[in-house]
Amino acid sequence: MQVIENSKVKEKVYLEKLPNGLTVMVIPKKGMKKKYMIWGTNYGSNENVFIVPGEGTKTEVPNGVAHFLEHKLFEQENGTNSLDTLTALGVDANAFTTNDVTAYLFGCTDNFYPAMDELMDYVQNPYFTDENVEKEKGIIGQEIMMYDDSPDWKVYLNAMQILYHNHPVKIDVVGTIDSINQISKETLYKCYQTFYNLSNMAIVICGDFEPESMLEEVKKRLKEGKGKGEIQTFYPEEPDTIVKEKIEQKMEVSQPMYTIAIKVKPTDNPEEMVKRDIAIQILLELLVGKSSSLYKQLYDEGVISGGIGGSYEFSENYAHVIISGQAKEPEEVYSRIKREINRQKQEGISEKDFHRIQKKLYGEYVKDYNDVENIANMFLTKYFMGINSFAYLNEMDNINVEYLTQVLNDVFKEEKMVISIVKN
Amino acid sequence: MNDTKKEIKQGIKLHTLNTDKFKTNLVAVFLTTKLERETVTANALISAVLRRGSNTFNTQEEISKQLEELYGASFDCGIDKTGDNQVLKFYIETVNDAFLPQPNENIIKKSIDNILDIIFNPLLENNAFKKEYVEQEKTNMKQRIEGRIDNKRRYALDRCIEEMYQGKPFGLYRFGYVEDLENIDGVNLYERYKELIAQCKIDIFVSGSVNKEIENIVEENQNVKNLKEREPYYNTESERNTIKQGEKTEKMDVAQGKLVVGLDVNSQSEDEKYNVMIYNTILGGSANSKIFQNVREKANLAYEASSRYFRYKDNIFVNCGIEIGNYDKALDLIKVQLEDLKNGNFTDEEVENAKKAIISSIKTIDDEQDTSITYYFGQEMSGNQKSVDEYIERIEKISKQDIIQVANKVEMNTIYFLRN
Repeated sequence: MQVIENSKVKEKVYLEKLPNGLTVMVIPKKGMKKKYMIWGTNYGSNENVFIVPGEGTKTEVPNGVAHFLEHKLFEQENGTNSLDTLTALGVDANAFTTNDVTAYLFGCTDNFYPAMDELMDYVQNPYFTDENVEKEKGIIGQEIMMYDDSPDWKVYLNAMQILYHNHPVKIDVVGTIDSINQISKETLYKCYQTFYNLSNMAIVICGDFEPESMLEEVKKRLKEGKGKGEIQTFYPEEPDTIVKEKIEQKMEVSQPMYTIAIKVKPTDNPEEMVKRDIAIQILLELLVGKSSSLYKQLYDEGVISGGIGGSYEFSENYAHVIISGQAKEPEEVYSRIKREINRQKQEGISEKDFHRIQKKLYGEYVKDYNDVENIANMFLTKYFMGINSFAYLNEMDNINVEYLTQVLNDVFKEEKMVISIVKN
Repeated sequence: MNDTKKEIKQGIKLHTLNTDKFKTNLVAVFLTTKLERETVTANALISAVLRRGSNTFNTQEEISKQLEELYGASFDCGIDKTGDNQVLKFYIETVNDAFLPQPNENIIKKSIDNILDIIFNPLLENNAFKKEYVEQEKTNMKQRIEGRIDNKRRYALDRCIEEMYQGKPFGLYRFGYVEDLENIDGVNLYERYKELIAQCKIDIFVSGSVNKEIENIVEENQNVKNLKEREPYYNTESERNTIKQGEKTEKMDVAQGKLVVGLDVNSQSEDEKYNVMIYNTILGGSANSKIFQNVREKANLAYEASSRYFRYKDNIFVNCGIEIGNYDKALDLIKVQLEDLKNGNFTDEEVENAKKAIISSIKTIDDEQDTSITYYFGQEMSGNQKSVDEYIERIEKISKQDIIQVANKVEMNTIYFLRN
């Protein structure tokens, strides 16, 4: 296996790309009782138009299929449900779907290998019937209704609606009651055959293990077969512009909630993705973080009463900055943030502030290596973007004020900003 | 990892959790006091005012900058209810010296000094809290209290607890009440602060790669030296619920109904509570549970269908998010599950599976710093000194008969429904 080491956090990743296309990563953690395994496919709610291998024409599927498929993969032909089987082993099993990734996982202290048997079995053996697909519609319907009652989720989704014209990242991962009603077992099989393809998948295992023998354990549980090579997916043309600047929705909340989003031109260069991600995190701290002058002002004036959250979300084909929180007058926060961005652009970034935030961020990256679950999830999701997570610790040293200034000017553009508000 | 305890002064304990498994050190200070209607709001407000500025670092901005310089991943504070107590919690997490770009910065000492400074050396003006901070935090606290409607699921659970414990300490909202805020000012809040600090139970936790030297750092800290011995003012027992509240419905603009059923378990002893943990896992604590299987997987009424055991209060709360019209169906199904458990309609295998799940979670307590602090604090509060191995042994002994016994003590207390 290929060994990649990081001297800062003193951890190693053992990586192997098998001839069948599957990537396996093992991250040994001595002394940890908890063991964790995750098997993901580079497929999420964004892949709605694609060519099924062996077919000539494009297939378009209803919104929410990837997530629906995630729910149904647990069903077994013998009538059992793998989530029940795993739970009975005393392991903590789960699955999740994002815009870009679907993953199946479990964490445990005992029964790791029996759980691994079950996980690897159900992911490789789909069993969908008209009946089991139908019954899931009721459950997922309630999941959708649960999100309908979450103002923080609604305010975020609405921001995506006005940030993107066509890109599927604007669509809710779970779909809608209407879209999931169009899903049949045939839809699920098509998606499974296309995307649950070994060359599109990766396994990450973290815990007190010997990497080489763990690789053998994975291999002996794999069915015969090969990855199907490149998958053809299609995304609609997405203009650089935003749709419109403001959106409001009424919901019962104690104080208005806002999400400010900035549309960013995506890059498919992994190194640049990492550098830009770090730079944006630093810039967000400088602009609206707890030690920023804007935060202090807004807090002292009573405009905000809690923190202002900031993050950068991206893949090869979309990218946006998110700034969110609760405020009496979100419009005021919005215009003050715009003003603060301009001030930073004009006055320049302080070297001293930059170094201080860099230290904070370094601490946060180091902290990511405390927990086996966090480590594995991080390596999996970043791997699908062509990124080795250690890159964050290394690229940190290559960030300087010049680069930050460049990102500030390229990314934080007024004409690319939108605001979504949820209020009474 | 073991909790090495040292009583620094009467009522003040230092807990050292020495481990080299982590990249970080976590320092936590918990102030525990009785939950009381008269002080609940002021106590919550004190925690908010303290983080605004200390005598050393006068502003939130200075505190934040200082923490950032210390590779500070986070400073957090929160308010919890632990049984009939209100706990003010403060945390600082920093990188372990071994993983710093420049070693020997002795971050652990600095972070201990910082957190103690924030809590015990507040910024004062004319022998009172700074007026500006108090007024701002009153406004923010009002917002925070009113903000509890924003998370509908959490709100429904809190409301069920309030209904169930009307007029009792546990029924108090942990952030207090808007109507109390009006009469609070910098002078009387500082008076309350002095009283709290003089009387509360204080627990200081340091988790990380630490040694004996930590004791010196804490004991030699001037703020700790200034603290007096105390007979700590907190509840070691928690008051039982006696009145059944029945069905309560509340209307709000929601898409989905949130059903919460509060159960009295009526355990006879602390020891019996281990059996209740297994009972709860079988009832609604896992994907194999009666409630998850019957309400979600068979009847497809819910996505969320689970139950949680509040050990200190000996209550179980069942939660489901359902179509509003399905209230009766869901409630009937929950009642059927409770009856089934009473009648022993479950297998030995289900008991064994639940034990595995609980044992697995016990074994990982020491794999997470905040979890281990919470665990050892729980032991401290319950006066229970079981080691992890003894804990596992106790769980392993549980039989189906023990679960049936628990089931026959369980009674419904409050059925709360949030609907449109």
